Amino acid sequence: MIMQTEAIESIKFGVLNPDDARKLGVIKLTVPDTYNEDGYPIEGGLLDQRMGVIDPGLLCKTCGARAKSCPGHFGRIELVRPVLHSEFTKVIYMILQSTCKNCHRLLLSDEHMNEYKDALNQIEEAVEIDAELGDVKLGMGSAAMLKRIKNMKRCERCGTVKGKLKFSAPTYFYIDDYKMKPDEIRDLLEKVSQDDLQVLGIDSVVARPEWLVLSVLLVPPVNVRPSITLESGERSEDDLTHKLVDIMRINLRLEQNLNAGAPQIIIDDLWELLQDHGTTYFNNETASIPPARHRSGRALKTLAQRLKGKEGRFRYNLSGKRVNYSARTVISVDPNIDLDEVGVPLEIASKLTVPFYVTAWNIDKAREMLSRTEYPMIVNAIAKDGKRKRVIDLNREELIKDLQPGMVLERQLADGDITLFNRQPSLHRVSIMSHRAKVLNGRTFRMNYCVTAPYNADFDGDEMNLHVPQSLEAQSEAKYLMNPKYQVFSPRDGDAIITNNEDGITGMYMLTKDDNFLTKEQAVYILSIAGKYELPDPTKDGLYRGKDIFSLLLPKGLDFEGRSAKAPFVIKKGKLVQGVVAKDTFGRGDNKLLAKIGKDFGYDVLKEFIFVSAKVADAYVTMMGVTVGVKEYTTSKKLAEERVRLLSETFSNIEKLIEDYRNRKLEPLIGYTLRQSLERMIIAELNLVRDRAGEMLLKYESSDNVAVEMARSGSRGSVLNIEQMTMFLGQQATLSGGRIKRGYYTNRVLPHIAPGDVRPGARGFVATSYYSGLAPTDLFMHAVGSRGSEVYKALLTARSGYLYRRLSNALQDYSVKSDYSVRDANNNLVEVVYGGDKMNPLYTQFDTVD
Amino acid sequence: MAEKNNKKYFVEYGEPVGIIAAQSVGEPGTQMILRSFHLAGIESTVATSGLPRIIELVDAKKKPSTPVTYIYLDQKISKNFDRASEMLKKINEVRMSNLARRALENFSKGKIKIVLDKQELESEGLTIRQVAARIEKDMGLDAQPVENGVIVNMHTRNLKEIRNTKIAIMKMLVSGVDGAGKATVRRDDDTGEFYLVSAGSNIEGIMQIDGIDKSKTTTNDVFAVYRLFGIEAARNSLAVELKKTLKEQKISVDERHLNLIADAMTASGSVKGVGRHGLSGEKRSVFARAAYEETLKHLVHAAAFGETDKMRGVTENILVGKQIPIGTGSVKLAIKKEDMSKVMPKK
Repeated sequence: MIMQTEAIESIKFGVLNPDDARKLGVIKLTVPDTYNEDGYPIEGGLLDQRMGVIDPGLLCKTCGARAKSCPGHFGRIELVRPVLHSEFTKVIYMILQSTCKNCHRLLLSDEHMNEYKDALNQIEEAVEIDAELGDVKLGMGSAAMLKRIKNMKRCERCGTVKGKLKFSAPTYFYIDDYKMKPDEIRDLLEKVSQDDLQVLGIDSVVARPEWLVLSVLLVPPVNVRPSITLESGERSEDDLTHKLVDIMRINLRLEQNLNAGAPQIIIDDLWELLQDHGTTYFNNETASIPPARHRSGRALKTLAQRLKGKEGRFRYNLSGKRVNYSARTVISVDPNIDLDEVGVPLEIASKLTVPFYVTAWNIDKAREMLSRTEYPMIVNAIAKDGKRKRVIDLNREELIKDLQPGMVLERQLADGDITLFNRQPSLHRVSIMSHRAKVLNGRTFRMNYCVTAPYNADFDGDEMNLHVPQSLEAQSEAKYLMNPKYQVFSPRDGDAIITNNEDGITGMYMLTKDDNFLTKEQAVYILSIAGKYELPDPTKDGLYRGKDIFSLLLPKGLDFEGRSAKAPFVIKKGKLVQGVVAKDTFGRGDNKLLAKIGKDFGYDVLKEFIFVSAKVADAYVTMMGVTVGVKEYTTSKKLAEERVRLLSETFSNIEKLIEDYRNRKLEPLIGYTLRQSLERMIIAELNLVRDRAGEMLLKYESSDNVAVEMARSGSRGSVLNIEQMTMFLGQQATLSGGRIKRGYYTNRVLPHIAPGDVRPGARGFVATSYYSGLAPTDLFMHAVGSRGSEVYKALLTARSGYLYRRLSNALQDYSVKSDYSVRDANNNLVEVVYGGDKMNPLYTQFDTVD
Repeated sequence: MAEKNNKKYFVEYGEPVGIIAAQSVGEPGTQMILRSFHLAGIESTVATSGLPRIIELVDAKKKPSTPVTYIYLDQKISKNFDRASEMLKKINEVRMSNLARRALENFSKGKIKIVLDKQELESEGLTIRQVAARIEKDMGLDAQPVENGVIVNMHTRNLKEIRNTKIAIMKMLVSGVDGAGKATVRRDDDTGEFYLVSAGSNIEGIMQIDGIDKSKTTTNDVFAVYRLFGIEAARNSLAVELKKTLKEQKISVDERHLNLIADAMTASGSVKGVGRHGLSGEKRSVFARAAYEETLKHLVHAAAFGETDKMRGVTENILVGKQIPIGTGSVKLAIKKEDMSKVMPKK
């Protein structure tokens, strides 16, 4: 088993000491080039083999190891004139500003300095008393002190008048308008005492400020900046190598000029050039310096660019881990698979492996497994020393012979193995849950459609990921914490998210309707699907009530009262006595059948109920043949008449409102101007006609209309959807929620509309239906709405994604402690008692059912 | 709450409640509406809602983009629409530019004439005399009421001074509360009481006015609440605003999650946003900050000052490949040495 034996306890940051840098940099680089004419790395050049090798065949000239095991070694460039480390100019500026140019002490007198020292000590003492308090974050001194120093005119110690210090990006410092050279800055920094630095918050043991002025530049090993050989045989160097060549070239030129005794102005120019090259080597996006470019014009990716941003080292490589033992493919439905199962294609199952830890007790089983030569077989054998061997026919016998406790065998994934199943974007914790593997034919992952909601998955081509936890610890955590049966209720609000949906509700609804009876044949078939082999009592005619069939699926002895499909829903002693099963039966709103079952009978019974009822519903739907066609959306004569009547009534009401408005007879609503009142009244009328059309639809459409039945049961579609298809589309809204009012020059949407016309048709009310077809103007109005929502959907995902990232970053360290308090990583109190009542939001629904 | 004391329903040790709270707000984010709606009755005012409002709250913006104050009135006034409307005049922010039709400068005589709109004056319940008095009092100028306005005698011919004075007068507050904005009367449909809604957030100023029920009057401006009532009230205000915004969007999120966010933002004693300038930017861990935003800034700072990362948070440990210190990672399994032999296989 993998055990964590040593762990990093803390990481200290600091600045590299030039003496250390000289020891670390194994060779001094002298030639500003890479390869010679023969294509061999130049000695003393940037790809010198003493800095490590990248070609697999070669040996490193420093450690003698091959490319795989050689960690690489730093080289160094001795800069003939020092340069500032450009990223640290702010710190240098702060120190120069705070110290005296004459006595090199902090500008503060002992008295004042002690004030700040005392404050620092007090904090340190507090930390010592309460070790859990964590370390004090060292700021840029204390803000108040720095401000004070900034406003001081002279040194409190020696009385020297403070020089006028000016910093000019990227790396220039002026004192009294004299441009300081890096070595002069270094001299100043060198003289600042450790004590003074401590007051500024700098730990000078690991970070002496003069080390920020570089006289030796470390060159990263070649495996940090590998060169690539293109297909054409041409070599292409890493951006860092390019930059380093530039630096070395200027360094060499500067040296030659110095030796030749060139005039000061030439020296200074070269020195500044060297400085700028140094700056872009560290950060090629430094403001006020043009970025160094590749021959093609692309800006070079230097050190800072490697670390920064979404694709940088931190977020891409360090926070984002890549894993083995994972698979990905398209998902598809299988209602016969359990909620906590996942169907895995054989092709995948034979490649993924699960470790089998050989012990004294299972060694016989291990031998037997090792001898297998087809599907559930051993793929690898890991010896005690950690050496992994692929099991092939040639070495199988030998491995069986050598098998001993402590070895690990990697076997192929088999039925019942614990896996983690995930769909991206993983927006909440139920986006990854554990499922038992079920090896199947086919090439897709199979899943029960009742668990699509937490993943937000559908089967229109979605792909999902599968991971196989390797350690026993991980497996048991997955099994006991991440199983879907424990995730039925959402941690967000306690509502059920793993429930029946779609046909799983339609079927239940049809089955449990008051006037629904099944023949014996039908009843037996349906119950056999559920695995029930008993029949309820028949009616006089020898038929079976749908409600009685449903009751058999319920846990024995369940008592429940609630509402469903706007009517009472009562279960007594495990029998449905009143009501019909609909969407809200399954835990939405104030109806909590699932919470009740979960609370009284536990998660296993709950999971079984959801699974079986969905399966039965599917079977029933299949048996009855539920389908939606043009028939569902053909308006009856009666309904067509109603439509005309409703619309003309509404239009005349609105005409009247407009007339009242023109004649100033309209009574304004409280808090609104007359104009706003008119608009609101018109919108109210249009909303009313929409609602009334819906009522009509429900009144005139019989239960033969499957679309209406689905809307009633809440499984799919709404009355509004049907209404828009059969009667009229209704008001098309803009993004701001109001009616469409602009589009063509003056106060109108389209040119054929009179300016200022506020009648329904002029402001985006569509009186035609999808079935009847949309008039060109209506289509335009409809398109206005569609386009708007399409545009902002894209905007919304970006914005809400960033909100989520910020929230989770700010709150990720908070956890509940043993006293139910919420604390952050450093034990700072955030909440004294979680939520005020210690309640887990997951169980809030449990709390309100009795 | 029948099961209040049932331990089975309590949060468990190590539960990463922060992450769950973040997910509970972040996950339904895409269902939220990005738009803002027009605030009833107040011309051209929109109330920020949905996602932008959540972002604004969580960012701890100093000023809400659409401040709104709900002004409740004393019992005697709140029942009567006319008396409630009277209150408007005390609150409505009226500036000279709202009243003036024109402002004429006479540079040769050193006078400024402000022509006032009679209708506007009437609707705000003001007289020319009152306006003149106000100018005298607030600006310390010599102002004479005349038939259609006010004449200000500057006693100087300095062009610059006259022009600047005119601009100052036009910006001057004539009546109402500074920063209160325009208010309207609304009726609470449940109680039948009238209250005022104003598109401003000078709650300090509004509270000074007689006839206001100070116990109920409130604002959506978290910082105004913080200034006036302190951090605890600010926490409440934040939580209430978050709840309100989500409820408007018909998104159900348990209030414990929202309370935790509000608590996190106010635990330090001042209101802090969650972004790089707030909670995330002030984390102790160098790595946690560097992995979030402004990577370079934090690394450079850590190096120059010799900071230490104690590896106590989540990000740091993921970075180095250690187990995270929350949830099941916050407990360890212990076994006595002598018991070890019982579980080890015999050689």
